[in-house]
Amino acid sequence: MRVTMTVNGEEVTREIEGRLLLVHFLRDDLGLTGTHWGCDTSNCGTCVVWLDNEPVKSCTVLAAMAGGHEVRTVEGLERNGELDPIQRGFMECHGLQCGFCTPGMMMTTRALLDRNPDPTQQEIREAISGQICRCTGYATIVRSVQWAAAEEAGTRTVLEDAPMEGVS
Amino acid sequence: MTAVEDRRTAFEDNDKQPVGHGRMLRKEDPRFIRGKGRYVDDLQLPGMLHLAVLRAPMAHARIVSIDTTVAQAQPKVKLVVTGAMLAEQGLAWMPTLSNDVQAVLATDKVRFQGQEVAFVVAEDRYAARDALELIDVEYEILDPVIDVRKALEPDAPVIRTDLEGKTDNHCFDWETGDAAATQAVFDKADVVVTEDIVYPRVHPAPMETCGSVAEFDAIDGKLTLWTTSQAPHAHRTLYAIVAGLPEHKIRVVAPDIGGGFGNKVPIYPGYVCSIVGALLTGKPVKWMEDRSENLTSTGFARDYVMRGEIAATRDGKILAIRTNVLADHGAFNGTAAPVKYPAGFFGVFTGSYDLEAAYAHMTAVYTNKAPGGVAYACSFRITEAVYLVERMVDCLAYDLEMDPVELRLRNLIKPELAAAQDPHAFVKALIGPASYLTGAAAAWASVHAAFVIYLLTPLFYITPPDWHGKAQPGADEKKP
Repeated sequence: MRVTMTVNGEEVTREIEGRLLLVHFLRDDLGLTGTHWGCDTSNCGTCVVWLDNEPVKSCTVLAAMAGGHEVRTVEGLERNGELDPIQRGFMECHGLQCGFCTPGMMMTTRALLDRNPDPTQQEIREAISGQICRCTGYATIVRSVQWAAAEEAGTRTVLEDAPMEGVS
Repeated sequence: MTAVEDRRTAFEDNDKQPVGHGRMLRKEDPRFIRGKGRYVDDLQLPGMLHLAVLRAPMAHARIVSIDTTVAQAQPKVKLVVTGAMLAEQGLAWMPTLSNDVQAVLATDKVRFQGQEVAFVVAEDRYAARDALELIDVEYEILDPVIDVRKALEPDAPVIRTDLEGKTDNHCFDWETGDAAATQAVFDKADVVVTEDIVYPRVHPAPMETCGSVAEFDAIDGKLTLWTTSQAPHAHRTLYAIVAGLPEHKIRVVAPDIGGGFGNKVPIYPGYVCSIVGALLTGKPVKWMEDRSENLTSTGFARDYVMRGEIAATRDGKILAIRTNVLADHGAFNGTAAPVKYPAGFFGVFTGSYDLEAAYAHMTAVYTNKAPGGVAYACSFRITEAVYLVERMVDCLAYDLEMDPVELRLRNLIKPELAAAQDPHAFVKALIGPASYLTGAAAAWASVHAAFVIYLLTPLFYITPPDWHGKAQPGADEKKP
């Protein structure tokens, strides 16, 4: 079947099998390998992309279902050569180690900040509760999102010594 | 900002920022945060084919027959390979990193649930998966050995019938320390506490599953393998043995790895299958396992049944520690390297305590579970050893009705004692100051100090050998 969608602002049309998963369409057909394939079962969240600005797990969305819609992946976070604050936050606050969960984490938390520019630590943790990171223990991910929120609000210096919940 | 500029900023910042405060920027982050990591599954080579592995649905069963004709006839399928076909080429078994052998594809029987039985190479990954369902395998189910404590019972089914003359599920024995001297101390002790400790199996579950892309250049006779490996050099040596190629004709590339935690040290049959697929088709072949395959068939951690014994005086002087361990190594011994065992468990199970004697004995057995046993420093068995000794000290404190911190403070090695005591003295002296700490910090310090000993254990190899673990005769008996 033929499917047309907008990916990172660009319209793409491809001939695909009806059962093709969106994650494989993005990775194998479009070469957008920033979106990862971790569990196949909507558990791990490494495959999160936006479907019309809503985070979805692309391992459980058929590529055909994205037809006519707008998809944004991690490759589309950087705009006009400028890193998104969430990307800088992850880099600044060591929100990643192996980097495998990172694209999904950033897509989810960017969506969070779009809806809630000043989330609490608890709200950040709830937002990423559908995603797994095996390296960081999450504390630095939460801190990365806070860094980005403060950066966007122009209040970043306030955060420098903010205590972390659940971190000894 | 370009990646180069990111990096320049990173280095400038690093000059100003203290380590450990989240400001030490990393060289690899600029590509990771852009989705430009280079993981194995990101690799696409021209003409690349995809490989999928058929796995055993039961833990222990004899393979009666395998029919691949329907799978073979599918339009996108290039190749279907069974254990019998590999056996014809002498490729059905591969050596492990622990002087054992492991089936690449099962020939005679399957020995754990999830074991590799056949593989398909097809034009895309969906077609390869489809074809797996068309392979018809007839099994005769055998009784499995699941409980490690029953593995050595006389009537336990023998798992490793492939090993010549094997009549039980014994894998190997190790010991360290002086059994007689330790027994003498236990005989005179006021208090002896015994505790059975079961440390169950866990899986490291890195976010990226295991996989590989194999490419064979038939003109130059060169093999390239991009693989999710934490130990590419060891891999190259094994592939040289299996593929019959000299090492300089093999290039193993470990690109970005989506987490490992030890799970990506062993050599899994899927890697070898991708090599065989590339050799037979002349095309690059990619194998990526899914999450279920990763959890059921790859390296685990722990799975130790330990009996701990601690001897002390009534007033809280710890005299000796002794342990017997029953280790579940699964169907094949795929631990990273058995030589590390003494460096880990044997170097740490005495904790940071001033003891008169100590003895550890370990029996490893085969069971119908996935092989491996190398994760979270688990090939060193540090975690198990620290848990054992600190649990025993806690139990002793409970029995003596003493504060566990006070008990630890009283028994930590003092710096002034360290020099004359044993070959470990110079290491233990480093952690001596722990004994001057007060309160709960002291207990934590002893745990951390144990880890320091572990980190420094390579030094033990240059000390006199009287304390070293030594392999029992018979440890090598299972050579193929």
